[in-house]
Amino acid sequence: MMVPFSHVLLLAVILFALGAACAIARRNLIMILIGVEIMLNAAGLAFVGASLRWQHLDGQAFVIFILAVAASEVAVGLALIVYLQRRTGSVDANRYNLLKG
Amino acid sequence: MKTVLFLLVFLPFLGALSLAVIGRHLPRRVGEMIACLAVLGSFVMAIIAFVSAGQKSQTVTLLPWFGVGDFSAVMSVYYDPLAAVMALMVTFVSSLIHLYSVSFMREDEDYVRFFCYMNLFVFAMLVVALSDNLLFLYLGWEGVGFCSYALIGFWYSDEVKATAGRKAFVLTRIGDVAFGIAIAFFFLIYNTLSLSSINEQAASLSAGMATALGMLLLWAAVGKSAQLPLAVWLPDAMAGPTPVSALIHAATMVTAGVYLLMRFFPLISLSSTTLLTIATVGAVTAFFAACSALSQKDIKRILAYSTISQVSYMFLGVGAGDLIGGMFHLLSHAFFKALLFLAAGCVIQALNEEHDIFRMGSLRSRFPVVFWLFLAGALALGAIPPFGGFFSKDRILLATFIHPDPAYKILWVLAAVTALLTPLYTFRLFFIGFLERPSATRESSQDKQGLRPVPKLMVWTLWPLAILSLIAGLLNLSSILSGNEWLARYLSPVPGTVPSLAASPALEGRMEMGTGLLSIVMLALSYYLYRPQKFLVTPTPGALPQNLEQLLFFGFYLDRFYQIAVVRPYQKIARFLWVRVDEGGLNEGFDRTGKLFPVFSIGLQLWTTGRLSTYLKMLLLGFTVILCALALGWYPW
Repeated sequence: MMVPFSHVLLLAVILFALGAACAIARRNLIMILIGVEIMLNAAGLAFVGASLRWQHLDGQAFVIFILAVAASEVAVGLALIVYLQRRTGSVDANRYNLLKG
Repeated sequence: MKTVLFLLVFLPFLGALSLAVIGRHLPRRVGEMIACLAVLGSFVMAIIAFVSAGQKSQTVTLLPWFGVGDFSAVMSVYYDPLAAVMALMVTFVSSLIHLYSVSFMREDEDYVRFFCYMNLFVFAMLVVALSDNLLFLYLGWEGVGFCSYALIGFWYSDEVKATAGRKAFVLTRIGDVAFGIAIAFFFLIYNTLSLSSINEQAASLSAGMATALGMLLLWAAVGKSAQLPLAVWLPDAMAGPTPVSALIHAATMVTAGVYLLMRFFPLISLSSTTLLTIATVGAVTAFFAACSALSQKDIKRILAYSTISQVSYMFLGVGAGDLIGGMFHLLSHAFFKALLFLAAGCVIQALNEEHDIFRMGSLRSRFPVVFWLFLAGALALGAIPPFGGFFSKDRILLATFIHPDPAYKILWVLAAVTALLTPLYTFRLFFIGFLERPSATRESSQDKQGLRPVPKLMVWTLWPLAILSLIAGLLNLSSILSGNEWLARYLSPVPGTVPSLAASPALEGRMEMGTGLLSIVMLALSYYLYRPQKFLVTPTPGALPQNLEQLLFFGFYLDRFYQIAVVRPYQKIARFLWVRVDEGGLNEGFDRTGKLFPVFSIGLQLWTTGRLSTYLKMLLLGFTVILCALALGWYPW
């Protein structure tokens, strides 16, 4: 039995919304990063579903790119967070407001 | 031959290079040895080249340099009798001056820098003397200018001396620009930069072009040789150490300009206008400098003005079409002027850095060796027969007198008057500065004779120069005095030379008798004017009215004129551009514009809370709006 495309899209939308909510609402930098990851994966899910729907491999190829980007983003992001933690002893996003106008 | 010429040119360069790189880590004696041996080796090579080449002219490529497209510059030399004589003179005088400097700079900590620049200078000067490729020549030409700047301002912590160095650099640069333009023209016209082939093809030039190029070369020479109107740097250049004054500003560099004109003589002689201008510059400058020398007080400034005046005679010689006379005077001048400067350096050190001739005196009893050596130089400079300068100057005067163009008669009168002033200012210096007088011994009687000891080496190096100054006339003794005119015969293969002037022996004899007798009369007159007894009446005897004395002391106020006519307007314009245009206009404009932006962005300021979540919210909101717009088909286009 094929899962209908609309279900896949719905799941992707829910995941994306959850990720976005997490990124916006949480103040812990690690949680924000996780939210971003969830959003990326939601986009990936939509790509895979679309690829299946139209029998086109481009969507799956994109997912590979998204995985690579997400992995490198986490690597850099976590390194930055560790550095910030060491420097200021905090991972609270609201404390980093040097660019406040 | 190639090896010899290569070593001749590049030995001093290697000396400078090794001093610059490792000089500070070597013991002092070794560093000094390197500097002296590099120049001495070069002198030996010059002798070998001189002996083995005979009177042949040859072009030798020493090193490849660079090439762009079909243009290439090589380090090549054109070795002809003129260059041979010049190279011999330069290396000989520099060798002696390097030896002298070893003693002169004995207390200076910065000797490495000093000898490095001195060696570099000799290299650059040899490039000027020998080079065939004009770009290579220009390298040497700028090189001597740079070394002169670096050595005048050698004691750079003294503001006055550093300024004198800059002044020399800027003024010679004004001349160098013309040389650069001339080189570009040569390349445009001949498609080659080889001096020898340019001279060979010179006759194909149009008359106007020949005049223009000649004038450009003259302007270059005027800057380097400190002639009017660019003469003002040389007297100030005396701020440098005395060996530098002797080497650069008397014997070699200032003659580079006139030497350049000699090298280009086939081209320059195409235009009689150029020749007349050269001769006029020479005669006028000779007179100007001789007058200025008459009321200077600083021993080195007197010698500097006399250098300008003597170099002007060489210009006059070239302008009158007599290359040999010019070269003859160049050689004899190099010997006696180096001698005079080095002797002056001994006196200055012995008297504890005293430059004022009115505070010297009584040197015959206190410092007899240098007294007699200086007298030898003064006799040669004052053109007292039968010593060095007499014959060379006389040949130039004769060449000017017999020139067919009547304008040269006026120049001859000017040059002859200058020839009378020469012994006057020379022996004014000698009588005031060196003869016995009561005041000097009284002042200095507290310590034994009032002299600091001067190393023997400094005095020894003067002897060869003194002997050569006295007998320099033998280089080219005229045939009416049963001489064999060696220099004239040796230089005869150089294009454009006139081995013997077309003057009747009777005229030549009369002229020599006349100038000789008059020089001796002027010597007597200067003794009458500046004899030591005068010191009993006034402390600073002057033979001229006060106003005139002032006028001459400041070199006809030429410096002041440039100050008012060039420097001040330039400073005013620069100040205007700086304060009004740059700071007031541009900077202020940017600042004001920048201050506008905060005003514009007051509303936006509220949005930048510095909270990440706000930014994210806004981002998502924006995306939503865009996506909705796209979905609903609200395309802005």
